[in-house]
Amino acid sequence: MRAVQAIIARDLRLAFRAGGGAPQAVAFFAVIGVLFALAVGPDLSLISKIAAPVIWTGALLATQISLDQIYRADREDGSLDVIIATSDELMVTAAAKAVAHWLSTGLPLIIATPVLAILLNLDRDAYVPLLLSLLIGTPGLSLIGSFAAALAVALPRASLLISIIVSPLYIPILIFGAGAAAAGAAGDPQYGANLSLLGAATLFAAAFAPIASAAALRSNQD
Amino acid sequence: MPSLYEFANPVRFERWARPAIPWLVGATTLLLVAGLYYALFNSPADYQQGDSVRIMYVHVPAAWMALFCYSLIAVSSAVGFIWKHPLADVAAKETAPIGAAFTFLALFTGSIWGKPMWGAWWAWDARLTSVLILFFLYLGYMAIWRTFEDKTRAARLAAILAMVGFVNIPIIKFSVDWWNSLHQPASVFRAGGPTIHSSMLPPLFLMAGAYMTFFAAALLQSMRNELMARRLARIDSGEKKTAASLVES
Amino acid sequence: MKKKTRRFYLAAGIFIFAAGAVALTLNALKGSITYFYLPSDLAALEEKPTTAIRLGGLVETGSLAYGETEEDGKPHVAFAVTDGDTRINVAYVGLLPDLFREGQGVIVQGRFTPDGDHLNADTVLAKHDENYMPKEVADALKESGRWQETGGKAGTGSAPQN
Repeated sequence: MRAVQAIIARDLRLAFRAGGGAPQAVAFFAVIGVLFALAVGPDLSLISKIAAPVIWTGALLATQISLDQIYRADREDGSLDVIIATSDELMVTAAAKAVAHWLSTGLPLIIATPVLAILLNLDRDAYVPLLLSLLIGTPGLSLIGSFAAALAVALPRASLLISIIVSPLYIPILIFGAGAAAAGAAGDPQYGANLSLLGAATLFAAAFAPIASAAALRSNQD
Repeated sequence: MPSLYEFANPVRFERWARPAIPWLVGATTLLLVAGLYYALFNSPADYQQGDSVRIMYVHVPAAWMALFCYSLIAVSSAVGFIWKHPLADVAAKETAPIGAAFTFLALFTGSIWGKPMWGAWWAWDARLTSVLILFFLYLGYMAIWRTFEDKTRAARLAAILAMVGFVNIPIIKFSVDWWNSLHQPASVFRAGGPTIHSSMLPPLFLMAGAYMTFFAAALLQSMRNELMARRLARIDSGEKKTAASLVES
Repeated sequence: MKKKTRRFYLAAGIFIFAAGAVALTLNALKGSITYFYLPSDLAALEEKPTTAIRLGGLVETGSLAYGETEEDGKPHVAFAVTDGDTRINVAYVGLLPDLFREGQGVIVQGRFTPDGDHLNADTVLAKHDENYMPKEVADALKESGRWQETGGKAGTGSAPQN
């Protein structure tokens, strides 16, 4: 348990220090929203209609670009080998890495969402469903993403491979997440069903992504 | 009676695979000619769809092969991952491009069937979306093999992804039952028997047979190529080492 | 913690997560995520949705009417979509897919007029079922009275067990 806390604390320190990944991901998220608003132009009703899907897509892409940082520092300073060698259960360590990634990326994205939502003229009724769907869905993104990062851990420039691997695995979360946000805002009875499937995807990732990550990390050792 | 394991030995593999390929190619040709004859000339038009139903004979077997190839990759990957069997890894690797091609064929023919029948090239319903995800999974799987130079490592990592992605296969199969989608439910592999009239089944199964024998021939040939390439690479690196040691001494 | 206990907790944790995922999936399937609404679903809502929606059902027999044709050759079409209980009128400008006919399952996309009177469709998709047969067989089945109107299940997801 202490090892898990230590890993999470270390990753958070790395993510939030100068040059860390967390502020970059949030900035990228904000840029996507602003670019969309500028591209759509003065049609406020159109922007407010696409606000929730744009925010979901932005959160997904911002998570995706930050994935290669999950194991980067550990690989660069050689501590990855130590972590793998000394972990009692590597899958617990992998889960801790995913939790740290969510705390440093997913959570800040959710905190930044209301600001971006104002810029995108999101309907007032749509805030709670959007935030709730992000809260349920983004841990799934971090878990699945940390698996892709573990697969590509040995590569010096891993982002491209990570994106190719992770995109198909992210599609269900995007569909159910954006679906829940839209259905919740419209008062649609499918809100609950979408949230359930979103939660199922995240729980499923929580059950199996750490196992797969641990297998990938072991396979990547020389 | 040789055991399955002996069949899987690379040397023995070469011994039985090479003579098998011409037979498979011949069978593919026969089945394809017969299948296309039945599909185009010797089967009835559908009571609703008219002659457009003939796209089914290309589309449906391609979709079956798309699922079959991915399942084969997942099973071979598991065998390769657990028992470290080199031929299983090679089989999984070489199945992927063929499976991706079948998936593309299914998506493509589905699209040109959908336009006249449904009125749309594409719809984001559960079946179509999950098959598109399958196509991306194939691409991701192949990307891993291409990225890592060390074949042993690539095999293990690709195997993990293949096993993770296997979740998608039952989702594709049952998507039309779980969600009320635009795509019609299963017609052949369903409880209660096929809902396709018997006069339309021969071209369907002939085409499926042709795809299967084609797949077998293509897989065996590309596995042979891969095994040959690996042997060459070993000889090559061996020669380099010898040359290097000669220079040093 | 001993290795054995640790493993036990791990397995239990994985099992709980997986069981939760299965439970949530079953819960969602009970509510059934739908690609389209049925006319009765829309009738049950207090007010008609203002956003674009998909409506699925059968084209009501005898409801199809062609209006004037626009300059670019696109005809005005009006028909009603029904699920046996409720009907909703649809207006559409454009060419209909080959499979479109009365009694056929269709999915239309569009939005309601502000007064909620009818749906202005921008896309009409024809749905076909899992039955394939030659015309003579279909006719013979109809004649012998063994014909089952399977198109009628377009709305229920065509899952025979439900």
